[in-house]
Amino acid sequence: MRRTRWVVAIPMAALALATIYPLVFTANVAMKTRREYVLDRFSVTDSLRWDNIVKAWSSVGMSRYFLNSVVVVACSVAVLLLLGSMAGFALARLRFRGSSTLFLGVLAALFVPFQVIMVPLARIMADTGLLDTYPGLVLAYVAQFLPFTIFLLTSYYATVPPEIVDAARIDGNTTYGVYWRIMLPMGAPALLSVGVLNALFCWNDVLIALLVMPSAEHRTLMVGVTSLRGQYSDDIPTFASGVLIAAVPVLVVYLFLQRQIADGVTAGATKG
Amino acid sequence: MAGRSLSSVGPAVAEPTEGTAAAPAPKPAPRRTRRGSRAERLAPLVLVAPAVLVIVVLRLWPLVLGINFSFTGDGERNGTAVGLDNYLTLLDDPLFQTALRNVGLLVLLLPIAVAIPGLLATFVYLKVPGHRVYRGVYFFPAVLSPVIVAAIFNLLLAFDGPLNRLLGTVGLGPVDWLGDPDVTIFAVVGVHVWATFGMALVVFLAGFSTLDPSLLDAARVDGATLAQTIRHVIVPGLSRTIQFVFVTTMIGMLTSMFGLLYVMTGGGPEGSTYLPEYYIWIKQGQMNQPALASAASTALFLIMLLVGLAQIGVLRRTAGKED
Repeated sequence: MRRTRWVVAIPMAALALATIYPLVFTANVAMKTRREYVLDRFSVTDSLRWDNIVKAWSSVGMSRYFLNSVVVVACSVAVLLLLGSMAGFALARLRFRGSSTLFLGVLAALFVPFQVIMVPLARIMADTGLLDTYPGLVLAYVAQFLPFTIFLLTSYYATVPPEIVDAARIDGNTTYGVYWRIMLPMGAPALLSVGVLNALFCWNDVLIALLVMPSAEHRTLMVGVTSLRGQYSDDIPTFASGVLIAAVPVLVVYLFLQRQIADGVTAGATKG
Repeated sequence: MAGRSLSSVGPAVAEPTEGTAAAPAPKPAPRRTRRGSRAERLAPLVLVAPAVLVIVVLRLWPLVLGINFSFTGDGERNGTAVGLDNYLTLLDDPLFQTALRNVGLLVLLLPIAVAIPGLLATFVYLKVPGHRVYRGVYFFPAVLSPVIVAAIFNLLLAFDGPLNRLLGTVGLGPVDWLGDPDVTIFAVVGVHVWATFGMALVVFLAGFSTLDPSLLDAARVDGATLAQTIRHVIVPGLSRTIQFVFVTTMIGMLTSMFGLLYVMTGGGPEGSTYLPEYYIWIKQGQMNQPALASAASTALFLIMLLVGLAQIGVLRRTAGKED
């Protein structure tokens, strides 16, 4: 098998290149002037020009969309982690009537894709005045990703030794005290992992945002990106700059929290 | 996205229930009433209630509403029961037929979409030169939004774009990736695979970490070739992971290509890249036919259930044979 290792190394390196190149190409285009792009779109840009980025950020409204995304994602993740850890702790560590049925209900909700419920959800949102509001979108994200969050946090809390809960009770904590003082801090690694994944899901989503927050001033960043192409079909460097603005935060998060993201993705696949 | 969030269903199901499943049978009364206060007794319910409320009201209730809604009419017949009319309309609609045909195509392409990350994970696991780098590099497109991926590939797949230029240098003619109805669906699926194979790769690697290394050593001592090792050691040892990746990849193909379709093709050219999820979006939004969209939603749900069950059935049988 030793020889095969070197044989496959070449296609693997080529594939790695194919994985990186699209982003490098886009970044390169974003640094060019329109003239440069039209004349030769493949040449490496001779200087780092930030004009297009600045233009996309200010005149295309990306800054507004960016802010909308940050607010919605931050609120969604906070609510997801709070509700998810409360429910996860209760389902994993407290015994009460119907807890296993509830857990099965959460699992069932996991299997319902958004596309299947989007029409009635839009109607419910419209009827309750939540359509096209920030709380509406936050609620939609929470509903979408909560089953997954509870699922992961329940399995995490199930690994916490019950003695810790017992000891905290003997020390005089109520159930709420156990949750707040013991479980929440102890769950930090799991919360980080689930939180990052949820933040990525919400940040990257376009379907839910399009459905729940359709109006122009409420656009999230990804919805903003979808409108770029039509606006800048004759100014590809600005278009590429907008795409880059939307991609960079994700890339930064990926560079620093790669492990946590992979842990969250694989948590369900490896256990049991 | 929904697909990704689903990626954690699966084998783990049994695990967390252990703590709770035991609950109903012998209920240790002292534990519940030790601190007899009402607040304390209600605590578990208080902790669970907000989450349950959100899930029931905004996920399970809409599912029921939607199925119910699919049997009512649109427009003038709004709210009246129409029986199976919407479903008959669906079957007659050429766009929906294309969407279903494309689902069939996805099912056919599925083995490739699973085999690529599977093989790559095998090589990474066997420590090909540079394996440490590959894991991180391959995984990175998986964290990008489909919208961003689509926007980038709009540039790459343009008629005078980099891919056609690459083809030109090796002597092949340019391909109209986003304009030829016979080609575009493959381009879109290809981009989807490009963007998501890293996700499956990471899951495969997690599966490998549970594989007994002594089996591989034994294969090596016996002088097994790579192909033999994969066939007789890796595939049987990872049957659960393979099954998991099959199901999640299929779900991903059916539910997380909206961003790609919306930005790359808009369903075109000539409606050739419709998938059920895009069809639902168009009928609900642009065509203002929510009841018809609900029928398509219900159909999509059924397709996903069927595909999932069929795959589990088939894979279970083949996995059984290997043993």
